Amino acid sequence: MYLGIDVGGTHTDAVVLKDGKIVASAKVPTDHHNLFSSVSKALDSVLYDVKPHDIRRFNLSTTLSTNAIVEGRTEEVGVIVSSGPGIDPENFRIGGFYHVIPGSIDHRGKEVRALDVAALDRAVAACREAGVSVFAAVTKFSTRNPAQENAIAAAVADQADFVSRGHRISGMLNFPRRISTAYYNAAVWRTYNEFADAVAGAAEDYGLLSRINILKADGGTMPFSVSRDQPVESILSGPAASVMGTIALCDISEDCVILDIGGTTTDIAVFADGAPLIETEGIEVGSYPTLVRALKTTSIGVGGDSRLHVVEGRVRVGPERNGPPMALGGARPALMDAFNYLELTDLGDVAASRAGIESLAALWDTFPEKMAREAVEASVTAILDAVEDMIWAINAKPVYTIHELLADKRVDPRTLYVMGGPAMAFQPLLSRAWGGRVVVPENYAVANAIGAALTRTTVEAELFADTEKGRMFIPKFGVEEAVGANYRLADAEADARRHLLARLGEFEALDEDPEVDVTEAGEFNMVGMRGERGRNIRVKCQIRPGILK
Amino acid sequence: MLEAKNRLGLIFFPAFDWCISPTHPEREERLLYTQDQLREEGVFDIAGISEYKPEVAGREDVERVHFCFPNLEAVTTTSHMVSAGGAIKAARLVMEKEEEKAFALVRPPGHHACKSVHGNRGFCNINIEAVMIEWIREHYGPLRVAIVDTDCHHGDGTQDIYWNDRDTLFISLHQDGRTLYPGTGFPHECGGVNALGRTINIPLPPHTGDEGFLHVIDHCVLPILEDFKPDLIVNSAGQDNHFSDPITNMNFSARGYAMLNHKLNPDIAVLEGGYAIQGALPYVNTGIVLAMAGVDFDAVREPDFDESKVRQSPQITEYIKKLCEGMVGLYLDPPKRPKVGDAEGEWFVRDKDIFYDTEGISESQVEYVRICPHCSGTLKLETWSTLNPLSVGIEVPLNACDECNAAGKRLLEEAHLKGNYRVTQYINRRERRYEHYGF
Repeated sequence: MYLGIDVGGTHTDAVVLKDGKIVASAKVPTDHHNLFSSVSKALDSVLYDVKPHDIRRFNLSTTLSTNAIVEGRTEEVGVIVSSGPGIDPENFRIGGFYHVIPGSIDHRGKEVRALDVAALDRAVAACREAGVSVFAAVTKFSTRNPAQENAIAAAVADQADFVSRGHRISGMLNFPRRISTAYYNAAVWRTYNEFADAVAGAAEDYGLLSRINILKADGGTMPFSVSRDQPVESILSGPAASVMGTIALCDISEDCVILDIGGTTTDIAVFADGAPLIETEGIEVGSYPTLVRALKTTSIGVGGDSRLHVVEGRVRVGPERNGPPMALGGARPALMDAFNYLELTDLGDVAASRAGIESLAALWDTFPEKMAREAVEASVTAILDAVEDMIWAINAKPVYTIHELLADKRVDPRTLYVMGGPAMAFQPLLSRAWGGRVVVPENYAVANAIGAALTRTTVEAELFADTEKGRMFIPKFGVEEAVGANYRLADAEADARRHLLARLGEFEALDEDPEVDVTEAGEFNMVGMRGERGRNIRVKCQIRPGILK
Repeated sequence: MLEAKNRLGLIFFPAFDWCISPTHPEREERLLYTQDQLREEGVFDIAGISEYKPEVAGREDVERVHFCFPNLEAVTTTSHMVSAGGAIKAARLVMEKEEEKAFALVRPPGHHACKSVHGNRGFCNINIEAVMIEWIREHYGPLRVAIVDTDCHHGDGTQDIYWNDRDTLFISLHQDGRTLYPGTGFPHECGGVNALGRTINIPLPPHTGDEGFLHVIDHCVLPILEDFKPDLIVNSAGQDNHFSDPITNMNFSARGYAMLNHKLNPDIAVLEGGYAIQGALPYVNTGIVLAMAGVDFDAVREPDFDESKVRQSPQITEYIKKLCEGMVGLYLDPPKRPKVGDAEGEWFVRDKDIFYDTEGISESQVEYVRICPHCSGTLKLETWSTLNPLSVGIEVPLNACDECNAAGKRLLEEAHLKGNYRVTQYINRRERRYEHYGF
């Protein structure tokens, strides 16, 4: 049996699946001040009539890191970087303890200027005085040669609870993004690990013996142990859970759009040829671009709990939420109250909804029915406008799915899959306003938790080899091996595959028979003044994201 | 986060599947480290800098510019069409005002490709700047264009194509032809009979450094541009003046290139040569990109940069100062007739021999230009080479007067009736006729 829990902005959903069938499910309100209590309540509820021993896998998607960043509940980080020539690294300053140390590594991984030890000592001392105890060590081209990042990490080791080294998060080239990613990784580290300790404790109390995996934003999971060092990868995993849930519930092979209408937001994802689209480099966190891989999703502030208000005589929905709708005991009318008023739903206390809409209408001297209808229409329009904008933006650039680059592909979705609490109520409205097919899958209300339960464990990695230097390097795993002069692209692909599967084998029993995609591969002759002197080889590969059967 | 002062479009086409030979300077590896550097610097995340895919140039885009012998297919590959298409994409972004500036980082290069093409010379098959500029004029009208060629080698192909075009100002800064391929580009080469003063060659002595290049820009290029008042400035951004380039002898630095670009302020830059692919290109290109975008480039330098080692000698400084004094005069008051060639009736005739170093082809030409006070003049180019028997190209320019248009038609008829030409190519820009006869 598989257990999935998705801690969302409004609700925490949990399901237990056996052979693809739901044997238990639960929906509890999310307590923002104590996410662990939400997880524990959801566990309580679904484990009521399921034997914990039978659960083979427990996957958890949580907004913990996202919330910590958005709400500024992060820890001070000592950010120590070395840059060398190029754009002035002052431009990438982040946090209050940012230190640039002279030192430089070039694009082939050659150290062209040693790290300035005295300057490093001064930076370390400054951090010590300030009482900073988590660090980010990031150097330019560390994914070619991590020596300086490792040296910085070693210099702070005795005063650090945690050091985030840039090359271990991603093997991609992008120094500014590497800085912000390592920074956030360190900034949420403590909060995340406290939460993780609580979850591990609770799992033990319930007698859950299974592995625990944490959802990532790219439609895969990472093992609990990895998440403790890479908490930044758990951010924005909620939309990915819904997307993976849709894949589990529907047989998708064409271009389509997925809407997850929740309490606070509506998340939009787009599929091309049946595969979800991915952000090519990484998502933005707190307005900084990062190297965190993620499915391409857009979020707009329209959901069942979105507050209704009137601006210049027109009804607006959201983007803010002021507690639950009146039907569920809230103080102010929200979108679901309008649905209740129009008898499109009968959620909770319908009379309370009616009273709320009527008083709001009286305030603005209009008919309650008109007000409710305008609110519902405004929400449908806002959602479809956002869908249209997103498709337009996607078609203006090359399209990447989680599997590959689709060259010259135009995305032209004809089907809309709708999930989340109000999905059924929205279905006829969206159907009328949108030209194509609108489908609400079975079990739509807990699709996110189903997605969480069934998401595979994934790993991706970049390999970089330089036969002149006789060296192969996989930054993310910290693997460095000697290679011979005859090392070719095929050898590099085999090595990348081998290390990827070995890494996965540490986490999984490998009973899933994972597929490895090579997403980029290139081999270049390097030529010096006296002829050919070696090959420069790059391979990027991943465990193909997907759902467990 | 960094923000560009000028919205800049970058078109990146490293042609990772095209080389002249596996160890040739013009090989797959050439832009690899530049791409690595630009990615690592996070250049594509700077607000206002966007990356675009190149277009693919159509055959009409090339046939509008070149006489290809025996035909287009014989002298180009798909990579050439994408490289030219990358330049066209850059132009489209700027002309449609989608971006304020654009830089096509593409290969193979083009500035040694002349009007007539029999094969590859100086690593070039088709002239991607000329294909781009004539594409612009075809779609946006007869603009005045200035091309400033900062490649270390004389841009003899571009000079040849625009030799008689009075609406195109071609300025080339390069290592003195007495010391480097292609051995041309002297001040007396200052334009054809109808466009005297529209070609300006500034041959610089070996080991010219930042100071010399920037002096030429300040005291020669900018004053001439100010007078010419171009609608568009194009930089043929070759990067082989760099002190580490393996096939040239100059002392220019990455910061110098960025500074040059900052002063020149081109609308479009197109990459040309540059073969110090590890030590120079990554830094020079980063510098040019930042300069074009109006982002501070002060910290861009080579890891091994040592100013004292690349500083030019006082003798060079003196020589360049003297050289520049005559240049603006050459533009404002050019000689009354070209140094090479003779008037024969209404035609100005010159003989040319062109060697294709990459492929070992020898071409001979007789060039006839109609002497015309009203337009750039109709051109007839008789050409034969070790590959192709006697053939001819006839071109009526975009701004052709009625007489020159009629002369072009007459030349085509004559070629059909009595010319012993294997191939006849006819370009009539005024009537938009592009014809190819023979095989």
